[in-house]
Amino acid sequence: MRATGLIAGRYLLGLKRRTHVAAVSAISFLAMALGAAALTLTLALLEGFQSTIRTELRESGVHARLRPRRGGALPGGPWLAELRQRHPELEVRVVTTATVWAVSENGAVPAALELDDAAAGVEINRVLAARLVLGAGSRVTVASPRTSLTPLGPLPVRRTLTVTEVTSSRPTDERAVIRMRPAAGAALVGDGAVQFAELRARDSRRAWEVASSVQGEVPEGVEVVSFQALNRPLLAALQLERAMIGLGVALVIVVAALNLLCNLALLAAEKRADVAILSALGLEPRAIFRLFLLLGLGIGALGGVVGTGVGGALATLLDRTRLLPLPRGVFLLSHVPFRVTAGAVAVVIAISVTAALFASLAPARAAARRDVLEGLRYE
Amino acid sequence: MSEVVRAVGLVKGYGEGARRVEVLRGLDLVVARGEMLAVVGPSGVGKSTLLHLLGLLDRPEAGELHLFGRAVATLSAGERARWRNEKIGFVFQFHALLPEFSLEENVAMPRLIAGESHRQALGAARQLLASLGLAERCRHFPDELSGGEQQRGAVARALVGGPELLLADEPTGNLDAAAAEALFDLLRAIHLSRGLSSVIVTHNEALAGRCDRVLRLGRAA
Repeated sequence: MRATGLIAGRYLLGLKRRTHVAAVSAISFLAMALGAAALTLTLALLEGFQSTIRTELRESGVHARLRPRRGGALPGGPWLAELRQRHPELEVRVVTTATVWAVSENGAVPAALELDDAAAGVEINRVLAARLVLGAGSRVTVASPRTSLTPLGPLPVRRTLTVTEVTSSRPTDERAVIRMRPAAGAALVGDGAVQFAELRARDSRRAWEVASSVQGEVPEGVEVVSFQALNRPLLAALQLERAMIGLGVALVIVVAALNLLCNLALLAAEKRADVAILSALGLEPRAIFRLFLLLGLGIGALGGVVGTGVGGALATLLDRTRLLPLPRGVFLLSHVPFRVTAGAVAVVIAISVTAALFASLAPARAAARRDVLEGLRYE
Repeated sequence: MSEVVRAVGLVKGYGEGARRVEVLRGLDLVVARGEMLAVVGPSGVGKSTLLHLLGLLDRPEAGELHLFGRAVATLSAGERARWRNEKIGFVFQFHALLPEFSLEENVAMPRLIAGESHRQALGAARQLLASLGLAERCRHFPDELSGGEQQRGAVARALVGGPELLLADEPTGNLDAAAAEALFDLLRAIHLSRGLSSVIVTHNEALAGRCDRVLRLGRAA
């Protein structure tokens, strides 16, 4: 091991005596470093955007939902009040929701009607405001699926209301929503209405734990839907996006590893006389195998580590200096966010080392199996 | 044990079919402990091939070869490598020093391969190089040495592991007459002082005549 380490180190570091070998090794090193840097930057970019979305979900969304297992209403009794008492760290909001039509002079769209004690007058979200061109003070007619008997026959129950506030929507929410107090909207809610309780942790970083903290404290007829389950499609899509783009960019490392393989094969051919001499001096075939594996890992893995470091540093610099601006009004952020995580760094290094290892196997095996006399004749 | 090498009916050839050339045909050979044997003969008669077989760099196609009392056919690849490292010293015609390593590192290489520490191996190499008059050249690279110095360095490398059998393949073939004479004197002195058994392939009849015995290989060997 001492000899193989010394020889590999000398071939890697003492290359000034063989400039073409040095150039070939430097190209392989650079290729691996570039691949690793590209993957690190890409993962940091994806994590930057995705963590923003996840934070936004936590900040503005519901952390857990309690919904009836059967029927449209939550079971009665004091359990909700007890839940509020036991968990002062949670905001509990009981909401009844039904589908209605919102009508204005600009058209009619289906909307979710939410009856909520916490509503301040008649609130509409930005989605509805945009679709019907409404603002605070505008008048909107809400038509319910519930009917009342009139001389003209059964007609939908309707109320014309004045919008008191336009509220923000979650970035991922495309539903049109009207919120009002139960007393104001009870007449509009038909048989299809569903009642549920929404829970939010006052500290949004605890969003993932809310469901488990109340799981054992709700009646049997109530189902607890966790933050993960509520946002499963979006979170799964984000994960899939990261995996697919990451895999795509990881191909750069694979191409760099193929380059490493070619260059190691060249190096093994170049060093066939040396290998034969070492073999004649007693270096075992497995030690020769180890020598070229060390060389490949020395070039490839070191390139991967250096590239990861450079990519990570560049991502951090771009994030801190906010060097890449985003158009205002289109994105939630003013600049392209980058976030380097330990997990991403570990993944990039692991991919680099694995690729370098696989790229080194074939040249190492070929060098170890090469005929000693052939090498000596070459010398 | 008085025999270091015993070969019986050694056969070795190259190529196949009509293009086959058989260089050794049933060669019998014994090298006694402490003996210095010169192998001479025209080119292509199998002198180097014989040396490669004795140096465990190649395998005979037929016949039996015993080194140090053991049949080499029974040795595993790992054992063959260890014997090359510990029991056999090899001097090639062209010094065969590794160009990326200094002279002392080249000489220390067999000991490093054996697992000795860098410090110990280099210490032994420097001591040996000093005894061969190369103390000033320890840190020089092979391309910074003269032909005679390179070959003396190669001799030092062959000896550093303390081998019992020294094999030299035309060690003076690349040197002028004076340097060749000096190198042969050195080999002879080392052979005697260390009690080695030596097999030296040479074209130089005068040098061969100074060995204990001369084996002449011909076309029908």
